[in-house]
Amino acid sequence: MEFKMAQAAAEVPPKGGFSFDLCRRNEMLSNKGVPPPSFRKTGTTIVGLIFQDGVILGADTRATEGPIVCDKNCEKIHYMAPNIYCCGAGTAADTKAVTDMVSSQLQLHRYHTGRESRVVTALTLLKYHLFNYQGYFQAALVLGGVDANGPHLHTIYPHGSTDTLPLATMGSGSLAAMAVFESKYHEGLTKAEGINLVCEAICSGIFNDLGIGSNVDVCVITKGHKEYLRNHQLPNPRTYVNSKGFSFPKKTEVLLTRVTPLEEKVEVIEGGDAMEE
Amino acid sequence: MGDSQYSFSLTTFSPSGKLVQIEHALTAVGSGQTSLGIKAANGVVIATEKKLPSILVDESSVQKIQTLTPNIGVVYSGMGPDFRVLVRKSWKQAEQYHRLYKEPIPVTQLVREIAAVMQEFTQSGGVRPFGVSLLVAGFDDNGPQLYQVDPSGSYFSWKASAMGKNVSNAKTFLEKRYTDDMELDDAVHTSILTLKEGFEGQISGKNIEIGIIGADKQFRVLTPAEIEDYLAEVE
Repeated sequence: MEFKMAQAAAEVPPKGGFSFDLCRRNEMLSNKGVPPPSFRKTGTTIVGLIFQDGVILGADTRATEGPIVCDKNCEKIHYMAPNIYCCGAGTAADTKAVTDMVSSQLQLHRYHTGRESRVVTALTLLKYHLFNYQGYFQAALVLGGVDANGPHLHTIYPHGSTDTLPLATMGSGSLAAMAVFESKYHEGLTKAEGINLVCEAICSGIFNDLGIGSNVDVCVITKGHKEYLRNHQLPNPRTYVNSKGFSFPKKTEVLLTRVTPLEEKVEVIEGGDAMEE
Repeated sequence: MGDSQYSFSLTTFSPSGKLVQIEHALTAVGSGQTSLGIKAANGVVIATEKKLPSILVDESSVQKIQTLTPNIGVVYSGMGPDFRVLVRKSWKQAEQYHRLYKEPIPVTQLVREIAAVMQEFTQSGGVRPFGVSLLVAGFDDNGPQLYQVDPSGSYFSWKASAMGKNVSNAKTFLEKRYTDDMELDDAVHTSILTLKEGFEGQISGKNIEIGIIGADKQFRVLTPAEIEDYLAEVE
């Protein structure tokens, strides 16, 4: 029994944490001149603010892969719980994976306790996960929701630190968005004012930063109610599309016909002599 | 698993080909409080007696019918603590399925997973079988479904079934009363009448529990007030 257990212990890979096995290989490859693969990032502006009845979250919808826009209308506001939503900036796979995982954990917690999830629970689960991966999980998040203790808004940095604020911005457009917020935010905003301010902040990112673009998504969370306004604003419609559409010929066109007869160069031998030995 | 003295399985075959521990587990189920389920044309109802050991127990803290997913509910007969363990495992299984396939777990899949857990405990060292039989009620793309899962890990799909103390009388009553085109409300009335058959004392909204799932695919446990309404209609 013990011999088997010792053997099993040697074969089991280490649990949890980041496996650095491939770092040596990557270094060797880059020394030989192989360029590292680019990954899909969400250049992003994500914002959140607390208004008089709850929380409003906003995000743009452009996903980039290096200099290319790979998704013109992606969703950056992720569902965590019926009363909690989370915007994600950074590597798209990382933000989606971590929000999905914590959303699953929150659902199990709700079954166990029979109660609505709290924003601090989501915050702590996310924070611990990101800290464990020491910043290699490139997810910068804006977490907002309304629970039994009122409205809450937090920012979470890739290394696992958090802030609790009445207004928050993250992503490459965070400075542009924060500039708009700082000049126009005041306490006791109404829902309409809040949504306008959020849209303005995202638009300042859209028009002034290449990593941000396309449309504006907004999510309004109040006590017992949420509104997910997907594509609330579309400030970048496609224009100059040919209204008549394009007409392509239905088959390959014949441009030129020329027949060239082949000259006989082969002598045909009469009689059966050639095949006889 | 555990001490080497107890690492053999307690569920070993008897010379007559039976697993005696499972038989005993079924006896434990048979002495538990009556529970039943009825599959209607447009939904499923499950119900159970909620007899508390003393009038001093706060009956609002006891919940015998549990929600496994928004569209699947479960009730049991037998040992309450064993039921709790199975419910926790089912929550986790359903959530893992949802995380992997991004769709709600179908009723048959969840039943299979619960049954697999119950079977594991009849073939492992140092553990005993679960002392509960479950009635799983759900509504998914295959319509309304009712499954019974036994301590051995075997499961059956039923149109109507009962378990626990009064099982033979209850099943006879259900056989007489069941029709294929029953509506959900009729099924609730029938389940109340079936429970009433073997009920000791005065039946009320506080000593029975009823869970229903209809075409809206949302499983919910009825409040005592709603049960009182149904009881009034039945009388």
